[in-house]
Amino acid sequence: MTFLAPAAAALALTIPAIVALYFLKIRRPTRIVPALHLWPNQIRDRQANVPWQRLRPSWLLFLQLLAAAVLVAAALQPALPAGAALARHSLVLVDASASMQATDLSPSRLGEARRQVNAVIDQLGPSDRMTIIAVGPTARILASVTGDRDALHRAVNEIKASNGPADLSAALILAAGLVRPGDDARAYLFSDGIVQPLRASFAAGLPFPVEYHRIGVSGENVGLTSLTVRTSAQARAAYLHVQNFGQQARSVSVEWRADSRLLDIRPLTLAAGQAQDLVLPVPADATSVTARLGGGDVFALDDSATAVAKTPRAFRVLLVTPGNVFLEQALRLRADLQIDVVAPAAYRPSAAYAMTVFDRFAPQTLPDGPVLVVDPPAGSALAGGAALGIGRVRAVDAGDQLLANVDLQDVHVARSQDLRASTFGRPLITSLQTPLVLVREEPYRRVLFGFDLHESDLPLRIAFPILTQNLSEWMLPPSVPSHSFHPDEPVTIVPEPGATTVSVIRPDGSRRPIAPGSIATFGDTDIIGAYTVEQVLAGRVQRSWFSVNLFSDSISQLKPPDRLTLPPTRTTSTQATHHGQLEIWPWIALAALGVVAAEWLAFHRGL
Amino acid sequence: MAAALLEPALLRRLEGLALQVRRAVSGQMGGERRSRKRGQSVEFADFRNYTPGDDFRLIDWNAYARLDRFMLRLFVAEEELPLSLFVDLSGSMDWGTPNKAVTARRLAGAIAYVALAALDRVRLTVFADGPTSGGAPYRGRRAAAQLFARLQSFPVGGVTNYQRLVWPIARQRPGLSVVITDGLGDPPIDGALVALQRAQQEGAVLQLLAPQEIVPDWSGDARLKDAETGLEREFTATPLTQGAYVNALAQRTAQIERAAVRRGLRFARLSTDTAIDAMVQGTLRRLGLLG
Repeated sequence: MTFLAPAAAALALTIPAIVALYFLKIRRPTRIVPALHLWPNQIRDRQANVPWQRLRPSWLLFLQLLAAAVLVAAALQPALPAGAALARHSLVLVDASASMQATDLSPSRLGEARRQVNAVIDQLGPSDRMTIIAVGPTARILASVTGDRDALHRAVNEIKASNGPADLSAALILAAGLVRPGDDARAYLFSDGIVQPLRASFAAGLPFPVEYHRIGVSGENVGLTSLTVRTSAQARAAYLHVQNFGQQARSVSVEWRADSRLLDIRPLTLAAGQAQDLVLPVPADATSVTARLGGGDVFALDDSATAVAKTPRAFRVLLVTPGNVFLEQALRLRADLQIDVVAPAAYRPSAAYAMTVFDRFAPQTLPDGPVLVVDPPAGSALAGGAALGIGRVRAVDAGDQLLANVDLQDVHVARSQDLRASTFGRPLITSLQTPLVLVREEPYRRVLFGFDLHESDLPLRIAFPILTQNLSEWMLPPSVPSHSFHPDEPVTIVPEPGATTVSVIRPDGSRRPIAPGSIATFGDTDIIGAYTVEQVLAGRVQRSWFSVNLFSDSISQLKPPDRLTLPPTRTTSTQATHHGQLEIWPWIALAALGVVAAEWLAFHRGL
Repeated sequence: MAAALLEPALLRRLEGLALQVRRAVSGQMGGERRSRKRGQSVEFADFRNYTPGDDFRLIDWNAYARLDRFMLRLFVAEEELPLSLFVDLSGSMDWGTPNKAVTARRLAGAIAYVALAALDRVRLTVFADGPTSGGAPYRGRRAAAQLFARLQSFPVGGVTNYQRLVWPIARQRPGLSVVITDGLGDPPIDGALVALQRAQQEGAVLQLLAPQEIVPDWSGDARLKDAETGLEREFTATPLTQGAYVNALAQRTAQIERAAVRRGLRFARLSTDTAIDAMVQGTLRRLGLLG
């Protein structure tokens, strides 16, 4: 046992003081009574006085000494060694991701994590410090390097689970930034282990060890992991993917709704680990389709899914080419693009097109707006130097979003213009000889291919339609994307030209205004459901929709891993880890209150 | 002097009362009492106001014609009732608010006045550590002033000694005796009560206490001093010790009452905060001492 406030031992002087007061004799006022023999022979000294007297045994004295002793004991703040091993600086990472909403523990995984963290806070010693970081789609510091228990309890109790994933890497980077070299620090991760894979930047290790405290027990969950609406020439249909992530067979019901109209309810039995696809026709006038699982499980977030059924508004795109079936087909893969193809001789600048693609042709002046130029002819402003033979093709940055899912491994280019001296923009795809594809952001998003597609096998690779899709969506994002987003994923909204007001109505009915006239990134997508984008055009309200769904197999599988792969520790100091302390003075103070109450009772009963 | 002890209005109300005895008495002189010696005397003795219930044949119509109010002519046709008043004026009686000794004098005066108004003979004895006679017996309403003066002339003080009452009680002729005391003397009053029974006395023991001694109005530490003996003792008044005192007082009262009843005497405990009028009209009438 240790004492957190040993200086309070000085208060023990009250004990001899109380005894001394009992040695003093009371000066009593004289009262004349008619018959002394009727009064009982009972005396209790209550007050100090001058002349000394013999100390008489007294219940009151005993209780007062006991009360003083217990109060002194409480003031010393005794503490017992507690179970948890604590460093001087404890970094507590609390998983606040979607999976922590699971109710396999009462009241939830997050509630259990809060309880455990609060217990650790109670064990902090007087010189210990703690930092609390919530690990959600972003990492947030809720309390920074403090020993204030009240503030720490408040911070923990304010943590709310998000609907997104847990970005553990960001949280660890944040925590590492709070630790100075030589600090005695230790991190405690309270999580179900369902986190995003760690980024590669931890090779050098962390300046503190990380303890994984597993929260959660069950992986029994049936979830909806995909819902899309596809339109064919004949009809529209919704495709739903349902999966049982648990180890036991489950019977559920699937309820379909178009907007608020009930379309169908069908029972479904899934064996352990089984997935099933369901297809349902969608009415032509439906705006959105919602699927909902009935039967209940420990995780409600993946029990409903919403998809937008309306086709997005189309953009007009002008393709100026002497003939390029690869490019034309790749552009037509995007459902919201309406492609007009003209020969270079027939090209006339027009404001009716949202994007223009020039293949082996370049006008004197490029039109305003997004432009894709492929192999500009010699003599044009964008043309590069003399053609070079090209060896291996590679990405400048493999992590570039414009090259997402684009595999350049088997792509070959025979010849390309020399773009090394070009000031068009930054290189996206390059070779040993010259950059092959350049991109620029200002004043408009534009792309320049230095080679003729016919002199490359790129159009024959799967990478080509994907690259075209990536580039076209970057240059000309859909006005309002109609596909499903993940929670907290930003959504790019391009207001219609001439829109006076633009706002987004969230599934909970709250409205968020967006500045019209510029491309906006809408980030308030933490709630699952259908979002409505309202634009007012010449007094007419135009609505479009997008949806936010969990759709994450890694989250829906729910089963907490027993072990979590964590970065290595780069120990920079001696870990002076000590056991936490469980303060017992509140109970002693409670006992003191009881003794004082007994003393008060004894005093008034005249004991 | 009489006015100082009892108010005239109270005296007028007292004139309507009379002492009551359970058996016939034989006094030395006539009175309003039913006597064993049947009344031969027709000697006029006194007037008194008519009160409802009186024998209207005794109304003096001449007086009514002169004064326009009913007066009774009293004759020494009946025998008197010897009333002996024993009033405790020991040190313990000089205590309380209202003071017990003052109240005892007033109560004794009131009872005596009822007797004097009915032509009964009143003998007064005050006592503390010994009895002191109040002089020759008083008789007739005119003697009231003298008796009141005598009552007020006695000092208060001394230790209560009931044993020394035995001798003066034994000298009494059969009649009515009233003892007014706080009953707190040590040893208790039992010996005196036995003497009353032997002297064929009807009557009552009236225990007079101050409200502050019935329920103590103080608490805390004190040095208690006995009002009679001057003995002192340290004491701490708490609800517990005060409860013990109240119990001891109640036991003492019950002891006196038991002893009185055993000797054929009436008993009442009176508090000095009760008005004399209320004591007489209420307690003493209920007790059957006055009617």
